[in-house]
Amino acid sequence: MSNDIAFLAEFADGTPQRSALELAAGAAQLAAQSGGAAVALAYGAGAAGGAANVGAQRAVVLGDEDRPAVTYAAAAAEAARDALVLLAPATPNGRDIAAVVMGRLNVPAFGPVSEVDLDGQTLTAKQATLQGSVITASQPVDGAATPSVVLVLANTFTPAEGNADTADVSQAPAVADDPLGTAKVVESHAEEQAAVNLEEATVIVAGGRGVGGAEGFETLQELASALGGAVGASRAAADAGWVPYQLQIGQTGKVVKPSLYLGVGISGAIQHRVGMQTAEHVVAINKDPDAPIGEFADLFVVADLFSVVPKLTEEIKRRKGV
Amino acid sequence: MKIVVCIKQVPATTADKRYEADLTLDRASVETVINPLDEYAIEQALRLADAGTVDEVAYLSMGPEQASEALRRALAMGGDAAYLVTDAALSGADEWATAKVLAAALDKLAPDVALMGMASDDARGSLVPGAVAAMRNLPLLSYGAELRLEDSVARIRRLNASGHDIVEAPLPVVASVTDQVGEPRYASLKGIMAAKRKPLETWALSDIGLSADELQGGALTKVTSAEPPQAKPPTERIENAPPEEAATRIADWLAARKLI
Ligand SMILES: Cc1cc2nc3c(=O)[nH]c(=O)nc-3n(C[C@H](O)[C@H](O)[C@H](O)COP(=O)(O)OP(=O)(O)OC[C@H]3O[C@@H](n4cnc5c(N)ncnc54)[C@H](O)[C@@H]3O)c2cc1C
Repeated sequence: MSNDIAFLAEFADGTPQRSALELAAGAAQLAAQSGGAAVALAYGAGAAGGAANVGAQRAVVLGDEDRPAVTYAAAAAEAARDALVLLAPATPNGRDIAAVVMGRLNVPAFGPVSEVDLDGQTLTAKQATLQGSVITASQPVDGAATPSVVLVLANTFTPAEGNADTADVSQAPAVADDPLGTAKVVESHAEEQAAVNLEEATVIVAGGRGVGGAEGFETLQELASALGGAVGASRAAADAGWVPYQLQIGQTGKVVKPSLYLGVGISGAIQHRVGMQTAEHVVAINKDPDAPIGEFADLFVVADLFSVVPKLTEEIKRRKGV
Repeated sequence: MKIVVCIKQVPATTADKRYEADLTLDRASVETVINPLDEYAIEQALRLADAGTVDEVAYLSMGPEQASEALRRALAMGGDAAYLVTDAALSGADEWATAKVLAAALDKLAPDVALMGMASDDARGSLVPGAVAAMRNLPLLSYGAELRLEDSVARIRRLNASGHDIVEAPLPVVASVTDQVGEPRYASLKGIMAAKRKPLETWALSDIGLSADELQGGALTKVTSAEPPQAKPPTERIENAPPEEAATRIADWLAARKLI
């Protein structure tokens, strides 16, 4: 075992995902504590060309093709075998790989966490459990094998500014006899509405059933644009077809950690709450004074959204001078 | 074609949950349900059975003896048989140990598809399906909004960044599905009566060829502290304000926190 901190660096369309840059920052922090190196495990279209520059000291290219992330999982496990910790993004792709690493190497896994610490070689992961009613701290049991696999929520680490160091890049050896590698995409369908990557947004204006339709979401989009943020939604709004499922926040949607979450016409059901409870500031606009979201919002505005949201957009534009 | 749906009994979403002094979850005192996301996996399996694509649907759970209630409830929705792995060595099992046990039981049941919900309500790592696939050396098709089966392949519809993909792998596979597969059916009275006569087997670890030693005490992770979330300042409210005033006050609030 080394003191290295490995992290998954996913690429798409030739560029690293924001998660790769965030985890690079996290790995660098932990590596400073453990006295090891930050090692990128890069995969996806563009990984070979970009792996050197994500901010790691070493990079291992698992593969450079646009194929399901899980097909890189066995190679990721082999490449992480000697590391102390493996950081993975708490996205479906990141979880698929993390799960395979846990199962293939019989190592402990944690998360999704919003805080992770190393004291020498002892890892402590903090996570919200039981729908957020409890914050638990966990560690590997004594004698557990390494690496410890940690699922990390988006926006937990801030990417380093400026040009990253250039990493030494190597190619991961192919894994023989790997059934996980047989999954393949046989069809791809793009939806009309191009979806933003919600996990990356630092401001999210989320709309629910109260928004009433696709036109209502245009009003929210204007507010989101004024705030420099993105639009999200409850499952009710996605189920109604007003927005694509890529925008759904919650237990079966995205888990987001923006600095501002503004919920509009959303009641605040537990399944929604678990997707946004780590937001730094929560503002809610709801006409029902007893809506559950009022119990955990920092600012609760009891009002009709259709009269307040356009005024708020105007006011913010005025203050920003646009 | 045979599907085994893995289900977990969990505290009801609305239940008041707490940890025991030894930092394991107090599971005895709370109302339990089938993990809501597993109900979608059950629904998906039963739809494939209704369509004649699948001839046998069985359920598998790891848990305390009371978890047989969850299996009976699943059998009341439909399906043919159920298996419960229960063993003293499994209390406090983490996701790794759970996967290890399910993988061993699935080796014995040898289904074409081992199907799971995308996550459990009470631990949200979503790691069990992928770990089971790795342990059984099978392909993984995860987060399916729909599962389709043909003679020798399984396909799922899975969201991608801007739309969806159809992802395919050769059978047998481990798969997980989301809440987009369709609303789970309710058990009918007839179903509840029929479930009482369906076979439900209970297995100990030795029945699936595992020893307590192999499970390394049932967990590779340990909870070292459990605390309520940091107390937040009380909610500020804006009520009965005309729209312009409400807008100004929200903007002031945001500006005070440097959010605009
Ligand atoms: C297994 C499972 C998984 C789930 N996963 C998710 C998930 O990932 N994400 C998710 O969001 N949900 C999820 N749900 C659904 C969740 O339980 C709720 O049903 C859903 O979040 C409700 O959405 P909503 O708040 O938009 O709608 P509602 O609960 O109907 O709330 C609408 C709100 O809008 C307010 N309103 C109406 N009109 C106005 C107006 N003119 N001005 C101001 N306010 C107005 C109302 O007062 C109300 O509070 C899941 C459910 C299950 C069972």
